Amino acid sequence: MSLLKKIILPLNLMLIVLEVRLRRLLIGFVALVVLIFLLCVATLCFGAVNIPFSSVVQALFSPGADVSSNILWNLRIPKMIAAVLAGASLSVSGLALQTVFRNPLAGPFVLGISSGASLGVALALLAGIGFGSVGVLGSAALGALLVTSIVMFAASRFAQTGVLLIVGLLTGYFIESIVSILIAGSSSESLRVYVAWGMGSFGRVTLGDIWIFAVSVAVGLALIGVSLRYLNAALLGDDFAHGLGLNVKRSKICVLLGASLLAGTTTAFCGPVAFIGIAVPHLAYLLFKTTNHRVLLPGAALCGTSLALLAGLFPASVPLNAVLSLVGVPVIMWVLVRGSGSRM
Amino acid sequence: MNEMNKTALLECNDLLVGYGSALETMKIPFDFSLSSGTVVALMGENGCGKSSLLKTFAGLLSPVAGKVLLNGKPLVQWAPRERAQSISLVRMSSAVPPRMSVREFVRLGRSPYSGIFDSRTAEDNRIVEESMALLDVAVFAERPIAELSDGERSRVFLAEAVAQQVKVLLLDEPNAFLDIPRSHALFRLLKKIAVDRGMGIIVSTHSVEYAERYCDRIMVVNGGSVHVAVASEARKNGLLDWTEAFDAE
Repeated sequence: MSLLKKIILPLNLMLIVLEVRLRRLLIGFVALVVLIFLLCVATLCFGAVNIPFSSVVQALFSPGADVSSNILWNLRIPKMIAAVLAGASLSVSGLALQTVFRNPLAGPFVLGISSGASLGVALALLAGIGFGSVGVLGSAALGALLVTSIVMFAASRFAQTGVLLIVGLLTGYFIESIVSILIAGSSSESLRVYVAWGMGSFGRVTLGDIWIFAVSVAVGLALIGVSLRYLNAALLGDDFAHGLGLNVKRSKICVLLGASLLAGTTTAFCGPVAFIGIAVPHLAYLLFKTTNHRVLLPGAALCGTSLALLAGLFPASVPLNAVLSLVGVPVIMWVLVRGSGSRM
Repeated sequence: MNEMNKTALLECNDLLVGYGSALETMKIPFDFSLSSGTVVALMGENGCGKSSLLKTFAGLLSPVAGKVLLNGKPLVQWAPRERAQSISLVRMSSAVPPRMSVREFVRLGRSPYSGIFDSRTAEDNRIVEESMALLDVAVFAERPIAELSDGERSRVFLAEAVAQQVKVLLLDEPNAFLDIPRSHALFRLLKKIAVDRGMGIIVSTHSVEYAERYCDRIMVVNGGSVHVAVASEARKNGLLDWTEAFDAE
């Protein structure tokens, strides 16, 4: 009798809890999708020249040779897609890294993946290794991969995740100095291009090569997506994940490849975009209150997309990274103050 | 005699385990078999290789020599996911993520049964709720595990293993953080689920009292060798002599 009570009572409670959960999820996702739609429309309408909504619709569905069509197809649509891709990939990459390294402050930047990409781009632009946008992209991805393997090497040598952050930061400094040396010996023209790249912007991608961006992001997302079961178990550590029948080594490589591909590609196309990778996973948690990556991954992708679109709406004279820092720093402060950093 | 007729869930032949410093301490290979419905206490001094032994049974460590059979099939031949549906090692010392709720954690126990997108069926959810009810943790199902007391957390870890519906359960010092009444309750529960579900349980503990009172057999790692005896005869056979042999000089 008491066992019956023990089971039935919690079952009722569970149904209520699940219902609340489900409603929270539904509201969260619908709200984010609506927000993203509105931000997309705003991105298309507003800018140096404001285009009325009716003209936007007209230019979208029957593009002509007029100025609005031109601006839309050559500037704003590529910018919109770049913001969507960058926001989603940086936040998914950050979430995956935070989970695998079990550190709330991990992210593409802190772990040096982005500086690796910077090194690749610096080598391509300043030292003349590689050519064209594919060359820059390739070298960014390669640089990102290189740093990931250094971080992974450190991961296998040290059990503590704190060491990893230090290794990532040190690698970042090391790369910075290499880049400064490259800068010292480069022509002013290529330097100008590199500095512009280093500012971070969604406005540099052209419609012609955005498909490379999209395909890389799709592959990166897929690599992380197929590792969902591992990501959920990885929160408890590798031994635990192994105990749940996961191929830890393979899954980890899969996730890290995906994360560096996402961060590397985005950095190649948009320059180093700050704080989305580290802050958005926490925003997604705040919104959805779960550690389940089935919810968190799409949640973070949508949050990151909204944030990137929002930041992209500011006039071109305001640096993208300044806007993102204004949002990102308070979020990270909150994480530190809440103390989850020390307990993780 | 009755023991012998039951199915051997976990078996090892000429096994020699070790890891790090314990590699040198365990010298004599041993045989062992775990049958369904029984609870075996694993005892020995700190650093004698208890944890290494459990890890080897769970497939986390490769044996130094000999082999381990799970359901008659060598452990190395098991597909990871199927292995996870049959055997589970529960360690109370696992670091827990600060935000994960009790229910989310227990739901991980269904991971070996889930698809690539890690979804849960209605059946999975039912098993999760049942496991939480069995271990008395359903009342705080929504609380973060990190905020629980050590004792509550031990029960949550057990609930996760129960949800995994394994046949062989390996527990590494589950009562290290439990108070006396909770420890008694835990060992009674272990015996009950072993019998009810036809499971074989190996539980490492430092408590002679619980081992003698609630476990069917006692396995002792001492002086580089492993000995097993029926719980009621362990003391008579001198298996527990080491517990009082320590000379503090």
